[in-house]
Amino acid sequence: MVKEVQNNDLAEALAADLAIIDFNAVWCGPCKMLGPVLEEVSEEKVDTGFYGVDVDENPDLAQQFKVTNIPTLVAVKNGEVVGKQVGFLPKPALVEWIESCK
Amino acid sequence: MGRVDIAIIGNGPGGVSAALTAKARNQEILLFGSAKASEKVSKAHAVRNYPGLPDIAGEDFANAFANHLKVMGIELTQEQVTNIYAMGNYYAIQTPNNMYEATSVILATGMAQGKSIAGEEEYLGKGVSYCATCDAFFYKDKPVAVLGYNDEAKAEAEFLATTSSHVYYIPMVKGDVTFTAENVTVLKERPQEILGADGKTVGLQTEQSKLDVDGVFILRDAVSPATLVPGLKVENEHVVVNLQMETNLPGCFACGDIVGRPYQYIKAAGQGNVAALSAVEYNRLKKQA
Repeated sequence: MVKEVQNNDLAEALAADLAIIDFNAVWCGPCKMLGPVLEEVSEEKVDTGFYGVDVDENPDLAQQFKVTNIPTLVAVKNGEVVGKQVGFLPKPALVEWIESCK
Repeated sequence: MGRVDIAIIGNGPGGVSAALTAKARNQEILLFGSAKASEKVSKAHAVRNYPGLPDIAGEDFANAFANHLKVMGIELTQEQVTNIYAMGNYYAIQTPNNMYEATSVILATGMAQGKSIAGEEEYLGKGVSYCATCDAFFYKDKPVAVLGYNDEAKAEAEFLATTSSHVYYIPMVKGDVTFTAENVTVLKERPQEILGADGKTVGLQTEQSKLDVDGVFILRDAVSPATLVPGLKVENEHVVVNLQMETNLPGCFACGDIVGRPYQYIKAAGQGNVAALSAVEYNRLKKQA
């Protein structure tokens, strides 16, 4: 499951062994396409935390992670950014990218 | 509209050939293209190596293509495909105003003109963007540059002007362009390099000047294959395919100039035929599963 982040609160994601944070917005077409793919991957990768950040609702987080395009996926390992991926990815490539961040 | 069997992108010889074959095999198809693509064919010099058609003029070739599509009852969907998403079980095809679905896709878009700009790939996602409506939000009250390769780029620049502090519009095609918004400056300059510092874009160097901007929007007519289809394997600007015209994405096929040299009509047409037959087989197995 991809957990929706609220009030710029990322504490849970930053404490995880590995967290994938999906920066998105309701008005962004590619984000809408990536959403269900990420949801599917999250069901399979139970050892990884998945978080959704709506940039309209959480502008501070977008700034903090220097996100300037959406969708952007940020991989955080024990609180540290270990990877950044801009744009849509098909499922196999997404899984590969997550593995490369471990 | 429901999901079609095959979406074919491009109406040059590869795309037309793929469409004819797919239609003959009773596939429900969507053929995306533009009048411009057939213009490109009609402007071509005489073609001398197409069997059965000695010394055919480009214009006659284009007319013959259009006529053949008509005879087969194939309509051209005149919308620019901006993105194709591999959703796993199907492909989502995005145009400026619509979203289509197809079980398989054949890419026959030809080679994109226009080279990438120095720094473009390095700063993609760090100030470089291909979509104004997606990313304007991040440049609120900040100066940006727009490299406009088509008429739609003007509308995107106007949209950016409503949120950004200033828009430098650099037309990459001939013709005059004017804006009513006061915070847009049209610069007839040639861009050279996207400048960055600390991992983000800080400016655009042109042959004539250096612009201090936080974002550079590159709005091309034809995007590179890897941008068009995220996740697609590309080598030296060409889509990687095997002899069945299969790409690395299951259900996505490619043919013609986009898969490599030689850039020849007869090669594109032949590959279009193979791509269509491969797509038909893919769809058949998919339906069985």
